[in-house]
Amino acid sequence: MTNSIEELRGAEVIMVIGSNTTEAHPQVARRLVAAVDNGKNLIVIDPRRTAISEFADIHLQIRPGTDIPLLNAMMRIILDENLIDDVFIEMRTENFSSLRDSLYTMDLNELIAITGVTAEAIGQAARMYARAQKGVICYCLGITQHICGTGNVESIANLAMITGNVEQSFTGVNPLRGQNNVQGACDMGALPGVFPGYQPVQDLETRKKFERAWKKSLPENLGMTLMQMTHSGRDGQIRAMFIMGENPVLSDPHASLVKETLEGLDFLAVSDIFLTETAELADVVFPAASFAEKDGTVTNSERRVQLMRRAILPIGKCRTDSDIIMELSKRMGYRMDYEDMAEVMEEIALLTPIYGGIYHDRLEKDWGLQWPCTDRNHPGTPYLHKYSFTRGKGRFVPAEHHPPDESPDSEYPFLLMTGRVYHHYHTGTMTRTSEMLEREAPRAVLEIHPDDAGSLNIRKGDMVKISSKRGSIEIEAEPTTRVMKKSLYTSFNFRETPVNILTNPAMDPVAECPEYKICAVKVEKVGHNE
Amino acid sequence: MNEKFILRKDHLTGFLRKLSKGHRLVAPVRNRYGDLMFQVIDSLETTDLDLSEQAQESPKAFFLPQEEVLFSYEASGGIYDFRPINNSEQTVYFGLRSCDISAILYMDVIFLRSPRDDHYMKKRKDSILISIGCNTPGENCFCNATRTGPFLEYGFDLQFTDLGDRFFVESGRARGDEIFSEWPQFFHPVTEEDVRLQYQLALEAKAGFRRQIHVEPAFSKLRDDAVDTAVWREMASRCDGCGGCAYICPTCTCFTIFDRMESTETGKRIRAWDSCTHAGFTRMAGGHNPVDMKIDALRRRFMHKLYYDYSAFRRPSCVGCGRCVDMCFGGVDIVKFIDIVCAGTRKRTRDSRRILGDLLLEAGLISRTDLEKALSRQADTGEALGKILMDLGLVTCAEILGVLSLENM
Repeated sequence: MTNSIEELRGAEVIMVIGSNTTEAHPQVARRLVAAVDNGKNLIVIDPRRTAISEFADIHLQIRPGTDIPLLNAMMRIILDENLIDDVFIEMRTENFSSLRDSLYTMDLNELIAITGVTAEAIGQAARMYARAQKGVICYCLGITQHICGTGNVESIANLAMITGNVEQSFTGVNPLRGQNNVQGACDMGALPGVFPGYQPVQDLETRKKFERAWKKSLPENLGMTLMQMTHSGRDGQIRAMFIMGENPVLSDPHASLVKETLEGLDFLAVSDIFLTETAELADVVFPAASFAEKDGTVTNSERRVQLMRRAILPIGKCRTDSDIIMELSKRMGYRMDYEDMAEVMEEIALLTPIYGGIYHDRLEKDWGLQWPCTDRNHPGTPYLHKYSFTRGKGRFVPAEHHPPDESPDSEYPFLLMTGRVYHHYHTGTMTRTSEMLEREAPRAVLEIHPDDAGSLNIRKGDMVKISSKRGSIEIEAEPTTRVMKKSLYTSFNFRETPVNILTNPAMDPVAECPEYKICAVKVEKVGHNE
Repeated sequence: MNEKFILRKDHLTGFLRKLSKGHRLVAPVRNRYGDLMFQVIDSLETTDLDLSEQAQESPKAFFLPQEEVLFSYEASGGIYDFRPINNSEQTVYFGLRSCDISAILYMDVIFLRSPRDDHYMKKRKDSILISIGCNTPGENCFCNATRTGPFLEYGFDLQFTDLGDRFFVESGRARGDEIFSEWPQFFHPVTEEDVRLQYQLALEAKAGFRRQIHVEPAFSKLRDDAVDTAVWREMASRCDGCGGCAYICPTCTCFTIFDRMESTETGKRIRAWDSCTHAGFTRMAGGHNPVDMKIDALRRRFMHKLYYDYSAFRRPSCVGCGRCVDMCFGGVDIVKFIDIVCAGTRKRTRDSRRILGDLLLEAGLISRTDLEKALSRQADTGEALGKILMDLGLVTCAEILGVLSLENM
């Protein structure tokens, strides 16, 4: 996030796009609700009628995968009505003319028609956001998990920049990161092309710095992305894998191919706190300790590094992740002798400029620190891009509509979206062992519009078979107007209904993020669930 | 009972050390993250008690743990062997607040009625409750409106009042008297000054509430079923079903029971906190939920707190501790609920003289002639109306306090 979570309370207009905030980010959603209660305006853009959309002044229920035309339509209206922030564009951005020219070549009515929303509603939303002194945008996987995810994000950035809604508190563009430490994992270089702190692997100076510190020569070529590793098939290039705390057999698209790839490996080791579907395929499984059994830090969505303390000793024979890594490393001939996690944090601070001032003793005193925090006296950074963007000036990159990789056709007439439920975490490895959470949400249901359900003679509780080109699963149907006609929605948290057997591994070419949000399926009734 | 003594503050640690000889000691301690929590104190030398404010969580979990093993079982040859489990030990709870005591008294009503809950009863029998009155009510407190504080007249074994350099200690039960007589060296006789000061502090505390919560009008509205469906629906739309309100509430005692198998032969029966805001609380095996969570997710909770318990036990089961305020992600804690329900009811004027006179009139404690006599004297002397009425022998201080606490509702 460029902002802090707490700042959402202070925005005048909040635009939430592609985020089921109430279920996926309740701590953010509570700020949105509080803001609405304080008279602030909320715009929600989502193909589904989500809980947060009930609080919205304007809910644009667009067709799935039409975010770019919608954002372009909003920008075109803002441009036509001269609601742009000239000073900001002039001082802080570049390449505006290409965006302007590209918007002028588009036909507004055409854009609007693609989204399936009325021109009035789009106009209202555009004006509401553009006129706000402090407007903030929150987006989530509904934006990124598309074949055009990068274009979606760039369009959001364009919208924020033409209206000058960046660079001050209570404004900005906020991707809501999932889980408590996805941000931290990326910060620490768990990405194919960077060392910790987003320092490029291909930069010679950077590489030398890490080589000196680690006393090993380091490869200069980029690593592979997750999708390349898990979807290469039985005879893929990678022959051995060590998977820590991830369950790709359930969580990655086209799951049967993932399983095939993992089964085809010469060697697979998995470390997890429970025996997952992925761990079941492994040659070696390391029982890992849970968060409560270890010290360390996590970095949340607002870039806040927080210290977590061990509450109980590891149970049974399990070991902490760091213990497993250090022991493995030692046996493979590279000694890692860190006395404790504070020492690891020290090394991070020394090698990672954005973490340069973050030490355990500082984290203990307060509620963590928000990076960039470059030295011991740096107070941390509540919001980014205060005086300039990371790359200097903000660059406008126009985007055009990119239809989904797989659109409904006569054989697969429905469009399936996937998401999560409130009570479960990811593939349910942990949460489904809790009796209370399991009682609250014991299974996934398929949301289907009542009209579609009616025409297929499907009633609530009926079992239906949904199939895509890649496979099929059986699932319980729940007719509801939360989804639009010809759209379906379900969650991927449940092993009994492994919905990623259906999803499409087609990816955004830049981010290589798969298009989980859209695949074409057909629905057949199989019987009543009783 | 109702003996009163003075305990000097520098003798507190010594006193607690004596108490903790035969008992586990539980008291509020600020942890390294700044949270004030009730904790088991292993060493009074290395742990600093913090009595500066209400603890973040009530002591509920010590009497009704979030998860409690009721018994374990082992099967062999088709025969089950059930093993009872004792979850209790002798414990002194020190630094409870009046709301905490009131909540425990409410739990007693729930668990000690027939059929009695043995696990709970054992823990209650093993407990000594020492509370400290609140000289300064907290930001979200409204125990004045629920009549559960800031000081109590009964329910505690001992009640402390902070008089600055010393504690005023009174016993509310025989067990408190036993403590006085077992360790008399700590306790000094009270002086008249001490009694006067304690009384004054308790009086000032009543005036220190920053929230005015209309519990009684809300009760009437609920009794008359006068809460609009739109209000319930609005409430429900804001409920995420997280159960936070019930878990933090010191009087939410609903639980569920399940068996946790540990092997094919062994397992445990477990009781765990539950909440009426969970869909699974009422959902039936076939999948149907008789409660429409889209409309009534919070109805039962508020009806229970403010109306059902009042009807059954003549007291709301909300103790006004304010802990659920700010807990709800949808902004629908009990305080906001009461505000919404009472919205539209005229706000009372803050002219306390008129109010006091009117209130005493309404309560039938004085006649209109008495009031006029007192008001005319007040016009001459400028004294407080309450003082004049007391001087004239028309009302007692307790009666004035009585109507004032009603007024605060």
